[in-house]
Amino acid sequence: MNSVASDTILEIENLRVHFPVRRGFFVQRAAGTVKAVDGVSFTVGRGEVLGLVGESGCGKSTLARTIVQLVPATSGSIRIEGRDLTTLRGREQRTLRTQVQMVFQDPYASLNPRMTVADTLAEPLLVHGRASRADAAAQVAELMERVGLAPRLARKYPHEFSGGQRQRIAIARALALRPRLVIADEPVSALDVSIQAQILNLLASLVREMGLSMLFIAHDLSVVKHISDRIAVMYLGKVVELGTAADVIERPSHPYTRALISAIPSPDPARERSRQRMVLPGDPPSPIDPPPGCAFHPRCRWAVETCRGQVPPLEKSSDGRHVACIRTADIED
Amino acid sequence: MKFSLNPITAKKLRRFRQIRRGFVSFTILAVLIGLSLIAEVLVNSRALIVRFEGKWYFPTYGAIIPGRTFGLDYDYATNFRELQARLEKEPERGWVLMPPVPYDPIENCYPGEFFRPRAPSFAERHFLGTDQLNRDVLARVVYGFRNALIFAGCYIVLTYLIGVSLGCSMGYFGGRLDLFGQRLIEIWSQVPFFFVVIIVASIVSGLGGMNLGWLLGVVVLFSWTSITWYMRSVTYKEKARDYVHAAEVIGAGNTRIIFSHVLPNVISTLVTFAPFSVAAAISALTALDFLGYGLPPPTPSWGELLRQGTSNLSAPWIVASAFGALMLVLVLVTFIGEAVREAFDPKKFTIYR
Repeated sequence: MNSVASDTILEIENLRVHFPVRRGFFVQRAAGTVKAVDGVSFTVGRGEVLGLVGESGCGKSTLARTIVQLVPATSGSIRIEGRDLTTLRGREQRTLRTQVQMVFQDPYASLNPRMTVADTLAEPLLVHGRASRADAAAQVAELMERVGLAPRLARKYPHEFSGGQRQRIAIARALALRPRLVIADEPVSALDVSIQAQILNLLASLVREMGLSMLFIAHDLSVVKHISDRIAVMYLGKVVELGTAADVIERPSHPYTRALISAIPSPDPARERSRQRMVLPGDPPSPIDPPPGCAFHPRCRWAVETCRGQVPPLEKSSDGRHVACIRTADIED
Repeated sequence: MKFSLNPITAKKLRRFRQIRRGFVSFTILAVLIGLSLIAEVLVNSRALIVRFEGKWYFPTYGAIIPGRTFGLDYDYATNFRELQARLEKEPERGWVLMPPVPYDPIENCYPGEFFRPRAPSFAERHFLGTDQLNRDVLARVVYGFRNALIFAGCYIVLTYLIGVSLGCSMGYFGGRLDLFGQRLIEIWSQVPFFFVVIIVASIVSGLGGMNLGWLLGVVVLFSWTSITWYMRSVTYKEKARDYVHAAEVIGAGNTRIIFSHVLPNVISTLVTFAPFSVAAAISALTALDFLGYGLPPPTPSWGELLRQGTSNLSAPWIVASAFGALMLVLVLVTFIGEAVREAFDPKKFTIYR
């Protein structure tokens, strides 16, 4: 697969999402800021799947929710086909938002328990006047077939389905408006391992057949490497490494990525035995009070004095990937 | 739109039916309410059917029929009990069929006679006796029940209307509205309810008289807070659920999200409050009537009957009737409330998982 598609669907530039932490009852003053997303830039090309990985609390989900405008951006821009979603208002924003849809992590929580599948899937069509109540049924049936559900189940309620089936419904809902970009926020982590592969295959085939782009978020690299063209690694609100899936997985460059990759178990017992796990000391730091300089330096065994002083920029390295580390050249493999 | 029951709701109803005590109470109360709706046919000083000189009359509903129609020497409303007594002597002119209890709740059954409570008597058809103003106690209990029901019904509709709309907007929109709404409720719910009602009632009585509307207004003014508080918190919780986010991503507007996502998922729990609201409304009305700040006399009411009863303990049938009726209804309503609560218990109905 190609590395970066020629035309981009989503372009995120220097996006920041900060949450003020307020203290005080009568007079509220800012006691700090949670920098959930702190200066993130990347693009997603047409038909491309960008995997986004990072540990819990690193800002992946906030980033996803900001792109679909569930959370307002503090600064920066989110451009969809060249138009900035953060500056548009009202009708124009609503129209542009239909281009980006989202699949949520937990299919048990993301479906309204009081709506039938047909109602759930018809809702986006009705909201945007894409179908009348009468001809929504045909489109609903088509959507259900597309995600591998029998259309005769349309009159059933979410609790009558299994987790995997529910996630199929959620995916169908995301596809109803024929978006250009689907944001999948850990779409398989709430599912059984046996079901995960089915949903991943479904997503991959939808990307192929419908020319979708996808931002695929997970904390599990082995899931991401399956489906992604490129992979971005996030640590504490920042992208620390961005490159093709093969590069990032096979030849990780940033120390944090190396630690993540070393944690993937291998199905081959021989390799599994010889696998060197790189255990990171300590916990991820608090996003209210991140360490100065490179946020990763307290846990990094290659850290030097400079790492404490300056924030390393995400720079293009010689092999075409982007890494935010000043020590990459000095790290031995 | 086709009417269909959500399977979750259907399941809850099935469970409610399985809870015997609650369901039986519900059936009994439903029958009582049904009977109170046709109370005019059962307890009334107007006759059900009059056959007089070849003509049929059905005086129960509609305008009063003057005495002269039946050959009596007065133009005011016919006293059908007298007419019945008279026609029994001259059966060839016709006959009168009276309701089982042939008395009105506000009529003095023995005009001109000394006011005294009369003991229950089947012969006189005073099944629960009369009160100190010669009025039939059963008639007053029955019509008092109906007044209490009307009051409770209006009370529920009004408090829920205010509570659901205000609470839902507070929880959903948040911000200033929520902040000031919460403080208002906190302050407002500290106002001592009965004192205020008594003060307002005495002012209103001075101005020209209490009526159902005023009383309802005053009681509702101090009762909307709990439902509002509850609705606020459940809406707030529901709003943070992923399916509401999903609807936002789809592009659904606030109105749509509130009415097709939030409300259907929170409103069912409100049903569990309804029986207790009914009990609260009936108790409040009775208490106010008992204290003399409720509906003006001669409106039939249980509180007024209780007051009479407690000051005429030598006529125990008055206090016993009022107390018995009050207790029966409150117990039934509470049993229903418990059963509804049990049937709607979310622990038995895992909706989300």
